[in-house]
Amino acid sequence: MLFAVFIGAAALLPLVLDPRSHLLHVGALALLFAATAQAWNIVGGLANQVSLGHAAFFGIGAYTSTLLYLRLGISPWLGLPAGAVLAGVAAALLSLPTLRLRGHYFALATLAFAEVMRVIANSWTRLSGGPLGLSIPFVGSRPELFAFRSVSAYYWIILVLLVAVCAVFQLFAGRALGYQLRAVRENEDAAEVTGVDTFRVKLTASVVSAMLTGACGTVFAQFTYYFDPDSIFSLAGISVRIAMIAVVGGLGRLGGPIIGALLLIPLDEIANATLSGKAAGLSQLVFALILIAAILIQPRGILALWPERKSTRPEVVHGMTGTYRWAP
Amino acid sequence: MGPVALLAADAISVSFGGLKAVDGVSFELREGEIVGLIGPNGAGKTTLFNSFVGLQKLTAGGIFLEGRRISGLKPHRIAAAGMTKTFQHAALFPDMSVIENVTTAGVLRHKLPEARQRAAAILERLRIGALADAHVVSLTFAHKALVALARALATEPKVLLLDEVMAALTPPEMDGVMRVIRTLREDGLTFLIVEHHTRAIMALCERLLVMDFGCLIADGRPLEIAGDPRVITAYLGSAATADGIGHARN
Repeated sequence: MLFAVFIGAAALLPLVLDPRSHLLHVGALALLFAATAQAWNIVGGLANQVSLGHAAFFGIGAYTSTLLYLRLGISPWLGLPAGAVLAGVAAALLSLPTLRLRGHYFALATLAFAEVMRVIANSWTRLSGGPLGLSIPFVGSRPELFAFRSVSAYYWIILVLLVAVCAVFQLFAGRALGYQLRAVRENEDAAEVTGVDTFRVKLTASVVSAMLTGACGTVFAQFTYYFDPDSIFSLAGISVRIAMIAVVGGLGRLGGPIIGALLLIPLDEIANATLSGKAAGLSQLVFALILIAAILIQPRGILALWPERKSTRPEVVHGMTGTYRWAP
Repeated sequence: MGPVALLAADAISVSFGGLKAVDGVSFELREGEIVGLIGPNGAGKTTLFNSFVGLQKLTAGGIFLEGRRISGLKPHRIAAAGMTKTFQHAALFPDMSVIENVTTAGVLRHKLPEARQRAAAILERLRIGALADAHVVSLTFAHKALVALARALATEPKVLLLDEVMAALTPPEMDGVMRVIRTLREDGLTFLIVEHHTRAIMALCERLLVMDFGCLIADGRPLEIAGDPRVITAYLGSAATADGIGHARN
């Protein structure tokens, strides 16, 4: 319900704002990062496999659609599913060695994978265009080529993407697989012994998460017209940022990435705009301090300030246990 | 020869480096038995349980459920074959409600809506239906133990291994759990139980296995076991007497 109200309000935003305003651009970016963080949330939040390498899938999506378009003239609308599939294949291959890892080891392995992708994109110049990056030529408004003049069009496409990713997240959370992912998150051995194929459920979550992240990467490339290996496979700019958005907002919950992105992306913009002229790195420092404060104040995310359901409140339970008796 | 044993351990061993935690243990369980597994701390009981459900690899020997080899399978495959265990300290999924904990195990054999219905029925049967929506971290020890039992039952096992499910329970709560175990046995469920409460073990089990230093040192009726000099030595050292066991373990 709250979600529907939010989406409705977000959909109306371009109608009230100046379509060329910077605010709309930032809004679109925030929604795009909300969608990406929601994709991350499937594996990072539901299964607690904290990936610090989702930039790899984001970049694979961006590179696949853009290279298909630039080299073969294939519309990014077709490049989007192609990038998603490639990102899914990459996640499956990465999963074989890494899904047996837990906690920090998994995070480090995924981080290394994204770094490897960055190095490959920088050095395999013939395929990727190398460190110069790729530019998508401006062709005016060509909807069939995923090209629009107005920011509003991108904004609405990104909003649709966000709804789609959220729908997949909800589908996962509400199905048997969602139960099993949460069980894996909370006690992997107990999950196995009670019949959960922990490897299969983690693999499924990883692949779906990577595919959605790849799709977000394509949309990001179309929206920004330009990217290079260091920005698209960036540890701080993409991998850590989407993880932070989900963590600050509320891990494993539908609203988490949305709240997180709406808070962090504008904050990042404001910090950049007001502080970067004063001293090099000051904006990042302030941004980092705000993040640390958020985590210290509420480690389970901003959403944790509201209870999930009334029935899960402990005081209700205590009342129940008090009256409970063994029946003869 | 009678029918094939429901569960058979054939000379199983588990080693951690140079230490043999389980050393050539063989025994069989028949359908509908409630068998207790006892022994001093560090005798290898939990390691044995873990090897039965696939959490611990065997270094030698084999485990057979209904004549089919299950050793070497992953735990979820063993659960699907019909054997699971409860954990010491329950090991529930802490961020889930009672019914969600039980439903998670039920989706092994059923689609989600039916798994949820069956979970509710199991909770009713264990007389904790009122706790279905409670958060597990707020439960008492007794209720946690029952939820752990309910979760294990939701996998619809043939053999259920209970690892100290009665630890930290009061005597009336213990009686309640024992009553539940007996009624489940009447439905054909077979139990292997590790328990430190001698009173519970003696009242519940018609057969006891005794382990010491990884070896099976006795297998028989509770009263025979209580008088077995090897068992008494294992528990109390060589100078102890038969009636000393109960006191030592309580």
